[in-house]
Amino acid sequence: MSENGKSIQRSGARAPRKPKKSQIPYGMAVLIVMIIIGIALSSRSATLAMYWIFGSCFGFVLQKSRFCFTASMRDPWITGSTSVTKAVMVALAITTVGFTAIKYGAFLNGLPIPGMSYVVPISFATAVGGILFGTGMVIAGGCASGTLMRVGEGFGMQMLSLFFFLVGSLLGAYHFGFWKINFISNGPKIFLPDYFGWFGAVVIQLLIIACIYIAADLWQKKKMGA
Amino acid sequence: MKKIIEKLEKNQYYLAVFKNPFTYITGAVLLSILQIALLASAGNPWGVSGTFTNWAAWIYEALGGSVDKWFYFSSLGAQNTLNAGFLNDPGSIQNVGIIVGALLATLLASQFKFKKIKSFRQVIAAALGGTLMGYGARLAFGCNIGALFSGISSLSFSGWVFGLFLLIGAFIGSKLLARFFM
Amino acid sequence: MKEYTLDCLGEACPVPLMKTEKKINSMEVGDVLVVQIDHSCAMKNVPEWARTQGYNVEIEEVEDGEWEVVIEKTK
Repeated sequence: MSENGKSIQRSGARAPRKPKKSQIPYGMAVLIVMIIIGIALSSRSATLAMYWIFGSCFGFVLQKSRFCFTASMRDPWITGSTSVTKAVMVALAITTVGFTAIKYGAFLNGLPIPGMSYVVPISFATAVGGILFGTGMVIAGGCASGTLMRVGEGFGMQMLSLFFFLVGSLLGAYHFGFWKINFISNGPKIFLPDYFGWFGAVVIQLLIIACIYIAADLWQKKKMGA
Repeated sequence: MKKIIEKLEKNQYYLAVFKNPFTYITGAVLLSILQIALLASAGNPWGVSGTFTNWAAWIYEALGGSVDKWFYFSSLGAQNTLNAGFLNDPGSIQNVGIIVGALLATLLASQFKFKKIKSFRQVIAAALGGTLMGYGARLAFGCNIGALFSGISSLSFSGWVFGLFLLIGAFIGSKLLARFFM
Repeated sequence: MKEYTLDCLGEACPVPLMKTEKKINSMEVGDVLVVQIDHSCAMKNVPEWARTQGYNVEIEEVEDGEWEVVIEKTK
């Protein structure tokens, strides 16, 4: 339905639609196979079964919400739309709070802080990697998670781009020594709580996220007028 | 059976959960919950593209190549993952899960359709875009998930730096797309 | 009042959106554009874009995984 309640007048008679076939039975079959795989994995290792569940849930949610990190970076440039950008900011804000709670809990109990391998050195390689990745994801129509999700949706093009993602990864791994010696090994690892304290780091990060959210909102108003 | 499905397809709860898309904000909240649950239970946040490097190495080795002398795979952890194989690698299982989870969502919405590659232009776009992403992800220790989403959420400044350059890359990509791939 | 059809089947994001924007801009007020898409993301972002522009939008699922987004250029 259109906004004013009356439907849009279309010219010409349209061919009657043939009735659509329901794919729900196939969906049920896939679900049963997924459960069987899950049980089979859990008999080998509980960890593997857990990752299987997480992967499936990530895929399901990504597809249902069409959540697309590529669009969050691309749409502001193309149409000026920032609705996905704002959603990414919401995700970052929630996850920041949750992650910090887990990390701080470990810190208070004197345990090793989990997930610290994701605090990586900042160097010239980060900049080059970001630009290459950003350019590539727009051209290929999806980033790593988006490509996997679209493979599941039946996109031939993304199956091909997944293959070339592997080719690029192999090339990157082959050259990794060069980048590591010349750039990455000189780059600092900056974990915000080391500089601002735990509370300060969360507050500063949430403020930055809020500022970007507002800037994104204003950007859309300026570019699209709504 | 047919009757049940026809009834189901008009059920408002079916429509809300399986047929109609979620809003972006709903997606953001659900992904955040999953991320937090994953860090709490696995001890590491979500990553996608590091696993692709292992897939590439397995294919390369199956074709007769060897990555044993490569610096990237020289750590004990990397060697162990490669030796354990695809079926024992949590990251690989998780990535396959993403594909199958998306397939499930599409089928339960009755929206699956195989989309063939339409033109040579798409082949070039997929090849160029895919290779750039793969190479870039290795330099930046991850993709939009590992380096950006998980990086920023882990209070690592690297995530913000990566994000800034991603935005610049996306601008370049948009210009290239409009110029050559439309 | 004319009706145009835009074939975006098999196109990945953001190509359907870019083509739609270009086509709409070349149309007269009152014209109708039917965008054929089979990309689940475009089925969300094309209508969203058109609504922000203030156009009338309807989405019809014509096949499994195939949609027609009907946009009326109202201004």
